[in-house]
Amino acid sequence: MAAPEILPEILVEDLRLTLASAAGPVDILRGISLVVEAGETLGLVGPSGSGKSTLLSVMAGLERPTSGSVTVAGQRLDTMDEDALARFRRDHVGIVFQSFHLIPTMTALENVALPLELAGKRDAVGEARRQLEAVGLGHRLEHYPAQLSGGEQQRVALARAVIATPRLIFADEPTGNLDTRTGEAIVDLLFDPERRRGATLVLVTHDEHLAARCDRRIRLADGLIAA
Amino acid sequence: MTDLRLALRLARRELRAGVRGFRIFLACLVLGVAAIAGIGSLGQAIDRSLSDNGRALLGGDVEARLVQREATAAEMDGLKARAETVSTLRQMRAMARLQGGAEGRTLVELKAVDGAYPLYGTLKLEPAMTPAEAFAVKDGIAGAAVEETLLARIGAHVGDLLAIGDTRVQIRAVILDEPDKGAEAFALGPRVMVALDVLPATGLLQPGSLVNTAYHLRLAPEAAPQAVTKALEAGFPDAGWRLRTRDNAAPGIAQFVDRLGQFLALVGLSALVVGGVGVGSAVGAHMATKTRTIAILKSLGAPAGLVFSIYLLQVAILALAGIVMGLALGIAVPALLAGAIGDAVPVPVALGIYPAPLAVAAGFGFLVALLFALWPLARAREIPAAHLFRDLVAPDRVWPRKRFLVATAVLLAALIGLALAASADLAFGLWFILGTLAVFGLLRGVGALLVRLAAALPKPARPEPRLALANLHRPGAATGAVVLSLGLGLTLMVAVALVQRNLEGQVGERLPTAAPSFFFVDIQPDEAADFTALVQGTPGTADLRMVPSMRGRIVKIKGIDADSYPVKPDGRWALRGDRGITYAATPPEGATVVAGAWWPAGYRGPPLLSFDAALAEAMGISVGDKITVNLLGRDIEATVANLRRIDWTSLTINFAMVFSPGMLEAAPHTFLATVRATPEAEPAVFRAVTDRFANISVIRMKEALETVDGMLRRLGAAVQVTAGVTLAAGLLVLAGALAAGHRRRLYDAVILKTLGATRAQVLRVFVMEYAALGLATALVALAAGTAAAYGVVGGLMRAEFSFDLATAGLAAGAGILLTVGLGMAGSWRALAARPAPILRSLT
Repeated sequence: MAAPEILPEILVEDLRLTLASAAGPVDILRGISLVVEAGETLGLVGPSGSGKSTLLSVMAGLERPTSGSVTVAGQRLDTMDEDALARFRRDHVGIVFQSFHLIPTMTALENVALPLELAGKRDAVGEARRQLEAVGLGHRLEHYPAQLSGGEQQRVALARAVIATPRLIFADEPTGNLDTRTGEAIVDLLFDPERRRGATLVLVTHDEHLAARCDRRIRLADGLIAA
Repeated sequence: MTDLRLALRLARRELRAGVRGFRIFLACLVLGVAAIAGIGSLGQAIDRSLSDNGRALLGGDVEARLVQREATAAEMDGLKARAETVSTLRQMRAMARLQGGAEGRTLVELKAVDGAYPLYGTLKLEPAMTPAEAFAVKDGIAGAAVEETLLARIGAHVGDLLAIGDTRVQIRAVILDEPDKGAEAFALGPRVMVALDVLPATGLLQPGSLVNTAYHLRLAPEAAPQAVTKALEAGFPDAGWRLRTRDNAAPGIAQFVDRLGQFLALVGLSALVVGGVGVGSAVGAHMATKTRTIAILKSLGAPAGLVFSIYLLQVAILALAGIVMGLALGIAVPALLAGAIGDAVPVPVALGIYPAPLAVAAGFGFLVALLFALWPLARAREIPAAHLFRDLVAPDRVWPRKRFLVATAVLLAALIGLALAASADLAFGLWFILGTLAVFGLLRGVGALLVRLAAALPKPARPEPRLALANLHRPGAATGAVVLSLGLGLTLMVAVALVQRNLEGQVGERLPTAAPSFFFVDIQPDEAADFTALVQGTPGTADLRMVPSMRGRIVKIKGIDADSYPVKPDGRWALRGDRGITYAATPPEGATVVAGAWWPAGYRGPPLLSFDAALAEAMGISVGDKITVNLLGRDIEATVANLRRIDWTSLTINFAMVFSPGMLEAAPHTFLATVRATPEAEPAVFRAVTDRFANISVIRMKEALETVDGMLRRLGAAVQVTAGVTLAAGLLVLAGALAAGHRRRLYDAVILKTLGATRAQVLRVFVMEYAALGLATALVALAAGTAAAYGVVGGLMRAEFSFDLATAGLAAGAGILLTVGLGMAGSWRALAARPAPILRSLT
């Protein structure tokens, strides 16, 4: 086995994922292999249903493949159980969703502090405040998600994704629910090296303009890498 | 009209989507309506069977009953002139001793019947024979029919000889069915039935002996029983007999069934009210999913009134379905329970469909459904069309218009009115409703308080407790609904369990240590000295007390006929037939004079009366009032000299009425005695007295208490089953409330897991949340239930109340377990799920 330091940050080999449906099994991913180096920014593009969000889910440890191997940050995700995956995400991953997925019963500050708290870190709230201030929400700390606009909610989600200085950031259509101007502001924050602190970024998007800002672009079609 | 048709069309169109969200709504209504309809139907079925079998139960079309005397020749002629047949029966308690090797002896209920018995129905005997065959004299010995329990108790067999007083009878048959038994007061011993002419030979018919004589009349088919009793009352105003007709053959049972039925119906109503909470939250949840639809309808030009009508119609249609299902179940209840109540009612239950209780149940169902649905419907009505174009996720806080507040008040008033109308005892009904409203309000308040408290508490540093705390007070939290639904059911359960525990305690454990072991009845004045010597001479006995005893009937109060004198319900028993009376020079033990003064020693003036203070309160009697008592056919007017507060639980001999000495000594009477004996001495006392005095009846306290205890147990079971229905309704609502939050919890769990929380961490959040809810609810239910039980035991039954920690702990534990259990049942899937598929479905 190779030493961890010479492994790429993400190594996907012959990844397949089949889901059961009423109409019979559906092959979502049909044999994907890819390598992402540490610190790289990668754009996953392709039409709806091409499997790009599913691929992102598998790499983020949110979904387990039917077959093939996924090694992220030196760890084999395809063999881990639910709790091990949860700990892996806690320690290494930050995720931004299209629909923000903030916890509605918690204030912005509490939502952002949560990853550090789950990891048992001190001064989670203080760090959360700094993160929110950095994304321009210093005046919205005690607001609940329902009291925030879509753009503000996504900025909270972004602050939450980066607070634990993850090695990897996964973003699934982060601007999909936002208007163009708000979306651009979010993307600026996402690509800001200060915020990213060298993390690997994997971005799923429909937006070619956004994908163009990545170091590399991979196009998926019908569960396979097309280009 | 067009609007209504349009509303109906739109309502139907929407209902096509299915009633999935309304399952709890339907279940709550079905359960509540079924409980009320079922209890009502059962009560009516029992009433019907009592009246259908009235003749057999009473033993005739009319009964005239005399205490301690037989009818005079003139009275007998009067009875015979108005009837086709008159049958005479005499009843008393006596000791029966098995003759031969065995030493078995026991107290029996002796019934002597003439050749015409029974006028109606059949005395079923085993081996099969006629009453005449069973009672016939063979080889100089008369026959007897006995209840099976007698054989078991004294180890006798058919063919054995029994000594009763100074005579002997032979057991010829076992009584399988005695048609007129149900109409009698509860029995302290098994039945022994003999021919009427056996009685004089027993030597038990002494002056003052407790003997009832009943005359059963068979009337001509066209004769009206009421006319006959009226004529008898008019013809013999001073006879002092108790007249009953076949329409009211078993007034004790009928009244008992009525009272219990009413109580159970109110408990059923509380189940329906709990269900109403479920109805309300189901409608609320349904309307929340319709926000978009309503906004679209309004943007297309639908007025608010039409929107309201559409959803009101939906609720009405579903309520109708629930009510119909509930009624169908309710109709089946008497048939299902007929077997279980079996020997509690002396006649088979007349199954059938009884429209009145069904109508009441349907009325309750509709009122409750409307009452609880109105609020969320009225709020939905106010959703603005602009809602569609608003970006904010925050729910609109809309208050219903004033007229809906008025409508809510009207519905509530109608509900209370119907509850009171359906309850014959207005005061009890009112108390029950006030109590339910108070508990309802209390639980609402506690729910709101809990939400505020959760919001105000400093946020815990650890994320799990903080999230659990936040879940209690977030907008749309189930806290209020859970506290209310589980709380009402638990409160009732705690109250019922504590009342039952206290009742059992009264009979079993709370028996005063100084309580007598034996009651001796029918001691003749000339036996008193010998009896005293015998009992006091038996080792292990103490506290022998003997008091004179006679029977008398209150005929006038303050100069007004007792029949027309207004008395509160809890005092009516004292005017029903004969009551025990005594005379005494000194105040009896176990009682304290609370008004007036006891007569001076050696008082020999005009009759004075010491009266039970509680009874005096119910009758509106105070010191100085005149009361006329009919004693063996003679009216004696006495002045109330004092009122005594009697502690009946002391189990010492006490009488509601005690006369001053001087007047009653001359009247024929017997003595009552009590004695305390060590457990080892009990058999010796029993044997010595029954050996020496054939005529003295001995009642063992233990056996008498067991009889009472058995009755209480059965009663308790009925109440508990009904309280269980309320709890079931509460659980349904609880399940509904928790299910409504399920989607939200699933979401929370998935986000937490996405951020790296382990299953154990998520589990802890949920357990903390539910345990806090369950604990708070259980504590409130405990307090409210204890208060209610205290009210019933201390207020209604005037008994000492004791708190039972085990019962309380059980209720609290059950509350927490149920909440956590039901909550976790819904959340388990969320824990096991992989995040990605759920995140996909949520976007």
